[in-house]
Amino acid sequence: MARYVARRVLQMLPVMIGTTLLIFVMVWALPGDPFAGRCGQRPCSDAFVAAETARLHLDQSLPVQYGYFLWNMLHGDFGTVANGDTVLHQMIRAFPITLKLTTVAIAFEVVLGIGVGILAALRRGRAFDRATLLSSLVVISLPVFVIGFLVQYIFGVRLGFFRVTVASGAPWRDLIMPGFVLASLSLAFVLRLTRASLLETLNADHVRTAIAKGLPRGMVVRRHVVRNSLIPVITYIGADIGTLLGGAIVTEGIFNIQGIGGLIFSAVKLRENATVVSVTTVVVLIVLVVNLLIDLFYAVLDPRIRYE
Amino acid sequence: MTEIDQTAPLLQVRNLNVLFRTRDGVAHAVNGVDLDLAAGQTLAVLGESGSGKSVTAQAIMGILDMPPAEITSGTVKFRGQDLLAMPEKVRRTYRAQKISMIFQDALSALNPVYTVGFQIGELFTVHRGMSRKDAKKKSIELMERVRIPGAASRVNDYPHQFSGGMRQRIMIAMAIALEPDIIIADEPTTALDVTVQAQIMELLAEMRRETGSGLILITHDLGVVAEVADRISVMYAGRVVEHGTAEEVFATPAHPYTRGLLDSMPKLIGEDSRLYAIPGLPPSLTNVPPGCPFSPRCPRAEDICRHDPPPPEIELWSQRTSACHFAEEVVAHGVR
Amino acid sequence: MSDPDAFAALGTIHDAPGGPEAAVTGPGRTLAGDAWETLRSSWVFWGSLVLIAFFVVMAAFPGLFTHVDPASCQAARARVEPSSSAWFGYDVQGCDVYARTIYGARASIVVGTIATLTAMTLGSTVGIYAGFFGGLVDSLLSRLTDIFFAIPLLLGSIIILTSIPTPTGSAFFSILKVSLALAALGWTSTARVARSSVIQVKQADFVSASRALGASRTWMIRKHIVPNAIAPVIVITTISLGSFIGAEATLSYLGIGLQPPVISWGIAINDAAPYVRSTPHMLFFPALFLSLTVLAFISLGDVVREALDPKAM
Repeated sequence: MARYVARRVLQMLPVMIGTTLLIFVMVWALPGDPFAGRCGQRPCSDAFVAAETARLHLDQSLPVQYGYFLWNMLHGDFGTVANGDTVLHQMIRAFPITLKLTTVAIAFEVVLGIGVGILAALRRGRAFDRATLLSSLVVISLPVFVIGFLVQYIFGVRLGFFRVTVASGAPWRDLIMPGFVLASLSLAFVLRLTRASLLETLNADHVRTAIAKGLPRGMVVRRHVVRNSLIPVITYIGADIGTLLGGAIVTEGIFNIQGIGGLIFSAVKLRENATVVSVTTVVVLIVLVVNLLIDLFYAVLDPRIRYE
Repeated sequence: MTEIDQTAPLLQVRNLNVLFRTRDGVAHAVNGVDLDLAAGQTLAVLGESGSGKSVTAQAIMGILDMPPAEITSGTVKFRGQDLLAMPEKVRRTYRAQKISMIFQDALSALNPVYTVGFQIGELFTVHRGMSRKDAKKKSIELMERVRIPGAASRVNDYPHQFSGGMRQRIMIAMAIALEPDIIIADEPTTALDVTVQAQIMELLAEMRRETGSGLILITHDLGVVAEVADRISVMYAGRVVEHGTAEEVFATPAHPYTRGLLDSMPKLIGEDSRLYAIPGLPPSLTNVPPGCPFSPRCPRAEDICRHDPPPPEIELWSQRTSACHFAEEVVAHGVR
Repeated sequence: MSDPDAFAALGTIHDAPGGPEAAVTGPGRTLAGDAWETLRSSWVFWGSLVLIAFFVVMAAFPGLFTHVDPASCQAARARVEPSSSAWFGYDVQGCDVYARTIYGARASIVVGTIATLTAMTLGSTVGIYAGFFGGLVDSLLSRLTDIFFAIPLLLGSIIILTSIPTPTGSAFFSILKVSLALAALGWTSTARVARSSVIQVKQADFVSASRALGASRTWMIRKHIVPNAIAPVIVITTISLGSFIGAEATLSYLGIGLQPPVISWGIAINDAAPYVRSTPHMLFFPALFLSLTVLAFISLGDVVREALDPKAM
C-alpha cells in the first residue's frame, strides 16, 4: 500500500509541474503582444506595461519567467486587480462560497443520482427505467447554461419557489437551485453509472456463492452487491468534486454567485487576464490534489488496487 | 425444520423439469431427470456443456434465478423432505448446513473485496451465531485442513492473492465448514492445470471420507470420474440417459452416447490411427427434435428412435438403467 | 457542457469488483456485423441520424429554410415576440431570430467538426503509439496526456482564447481559433480510449500470431490494431462532436468564443441572456436547436456504443 501511495504521488508531481508550465506558456509565451486586450477595451498604459514587465520579469528568458511565476505563486502573490484588491484576497473570500455550492451539488448527486440509479436498476426494462435513461441522456446533452436558464426561469421567475439570483453571503436556501443545476450533468452520469454497475454486480458469480452459503437475501444485497457496485460510483463522485470546484463558472455566472467560478466569470468578462490565469492555475492544482486523494481512497475500497 | 427421516435415502430427485424463458424461445434445460445419492457415496453427473447438469445442481441447491428459470415439475427429496415444496425461509437453512456447493471458477466465485477469512467466517457468524473472532479461528482451522500453507497469516489475504489451486481449496473449505450431508462440486477442476487438478480431486475425496458426506461431482471429464466416482449418471440434452456404477458404465456402457464418449477418449493401445469423435452437435435446447434427443447423431438409430415418445428408462437390473430402446443390445454388443 | 471522458467511462464497468471482465471480440461473427444488426432496428439510431442530417443540411444550405437575411436588423423591431410573420420573433438588435437560428447552425457545426477531426487525429495518433509501443514511449505520452487532461476543457479554452488576440471582422479566423482551442484540450479523451483499446487488442492471440508470421510493425498497426481498436474511438468521436458543439456555445455565452460578425447559436444565446426573464423567446429557440443537435450526437454515440458492446450480445 505504501508503495502504491508513493507511486501515485510521484506520478502527480511531473503532471503538476507540466500543467502549470502549460498554463503559463499558453498565457505568456505565445507569439503576439502579451498585453493585447489585457486592460479592457483600451490598450494598456505604458506605466502598466512597465510595471507588469518588471513584476513578471518578462524581459528575461522563458524558464526564468516560469520560475518567478511559480515562486510568486508559492508566496501567495497572484497579482492585483484593477480596484487594488489582491487576487489572493478575492480567492480567499470566494472559496468558502464555492465550497458550499459544491456541497449542495454533491448532496444532490448522491441522494438523487444513487437513489434513482438503484431504483432504475431494480425496475430494469420497465417504464421508470426507460424514463430515467431518456431524461438522463437529455440532461447530459443540454449545455449547463441552458439547464441553468431553464431552471432559473421555471422555478425562479415563473413558479417563484426560489430567489432568482443568490444573495451575497450565499445562504443555503438560495443555493438549492444553482446546486441542482451544477449537479445536473454529474447527476445524470451517477445515475447511469449506479444503474449499470448494480445490474452487472447482481449477475456476478460471487453473489451466487453468497446465496449458496445460505446467507439471508438482505445480507447478500447489503454486503455482496451494494458495496461492490458502489465502488466505481463513489470513485466518480470523488473525482467530480474537483471538477465541480473548478467548473462552476457558468452556474455561478447565471445565478450571480460570488464564488471562485463567479470570480473567473467576471474576470473573463472584464478581460482581467492575470486574475483568470492565477485563479485557474490554483483551481487546477487543487483538482489534481483532490484527484490524488480520491485515487488513494479508491485503494481503500478495492483491495485489488493496492497490489498493482 | 420438520423431522428428518434418517432412514430415507439421502437425496432423491424425481422427474425434475426446468425451463428457461429466453428472448429466443423456451429452453428446456432439464427434462425428467432422476438422481439418487446415498450417504457416503460419490455420484458423478457426466455430460458435456449444455447437457443440463449445472442447472440440475442449482435446482437442487435452490439458487436458480427464477425468472427466467422455472421449475415446472419434480421433487427433490432430502431424507424424505421435498426441498422444492419448502418455503424459502426453511430452504435457506439447508444451504451450506445440509447441502453445500463448490463452484468452477473460484476467482469469480469469491468476493474480491473481502478477505478469505471473512468469507469463510461468514458461514459461522450467520449460521452458528459465532463472534467474528471465533469465526476467524474456525477459518484458520479449515484452511489448515485443506492444506493451505501459512493459514494463520493468509487468512487476512484477498482472493486475488492466491493461486488458482489455493483458491479452489478455499472453496472446498467453505463447502465442508458446516459439515453438510451433501457436497455438490460443479466442475471443480475444469479451470485448473492438470497437475493441480489431481491434487484438488484427491483433497475432495479425502474431505468427503473424513466428513462422511455424499458427493455429487458434476463434470465432463471422464478421467476425473474414473478416479473417484462410485456411481455415474450420464446426461444429454437435459435428460439422464444412463445410470449405473462406475465400473458398469465404463466397462459396459448401456447407451450409444456413453459409448461414443468412451470411444472418443484417446487410447495408448489400439490400432486406430484417428481419434473418434461423435459426429454432429448437441441439439439446441429451444428446439429439441422429437423422439430420442441423441438420435440425429446415433449410429444405432432406427425409425422408432426418431419419433415421440422419447425412449423410457429401461431397467436392465437393479439400479442400472438406460434411456435407449436397444439398451440390452448396447450392453451386450456395443454400438459400432 | 458534457465531458466526453466521463461519458466514455460509463461504457464498460470494469471496476465493479466481481463483475465479468470485458471480452475481446472473438472469431466468427464480426463485431461490426452484429452491431449493425442491433442498430438497424433501433429508433434512437435512426432518429439521431435524421436529426443530424437535418442540421447538417441546415448548416450547408441555410437558404433552403429561410429567405430572410439574418444580418438585416432594424432597431425598431427589437425584442418583438414571435408572430406569424416572424416565427421566432426578433432579437435584441431587431434581427430575425428564426433566420439567425438557421444561419447559426453553420458556425456551430463547423466549429464542432473541425475541433473533433483535429482532436480525433491528434488523440488517436498519440493513443495508438502509446498503446502499441509501450515502455518509455507509453510513459512519456501518458504523462503528456495527463498534463493536458488535468486542465478542464472550459478553463483551458478560456485561457487560450483570452491569450490569443483575434483580428476583428475575420469570421474565418474566429472559427479556426475556437476550434483549435477546443481540440488542443479535448484530444486527451480520444487518446486514452485509443490507448486502452490498442492495449486490449495487442494482447489478443491473433496479433501475436501475425507477428510470428513476420509482419512489420506498421503493417500490424494498419491491418490489425486499427480496425479492431477503432470501435471505441468511433463512439467517443461521436460523443465529442456533441460536446464540442456544446462547448462552443458555452464559450460564446461567456463572450470569448466566436465573435461577431459570425453567427452561431452560442452568440445568439449570449445576446439573449440578459433578457431571459422578460423575453425568453430570443434565447429559447437557439437553445432548442443547440440542445437537439447535441442530443442527437450524444444519443448516436450512446446507441452505437451499446451496439458495439460485446457483452450485450
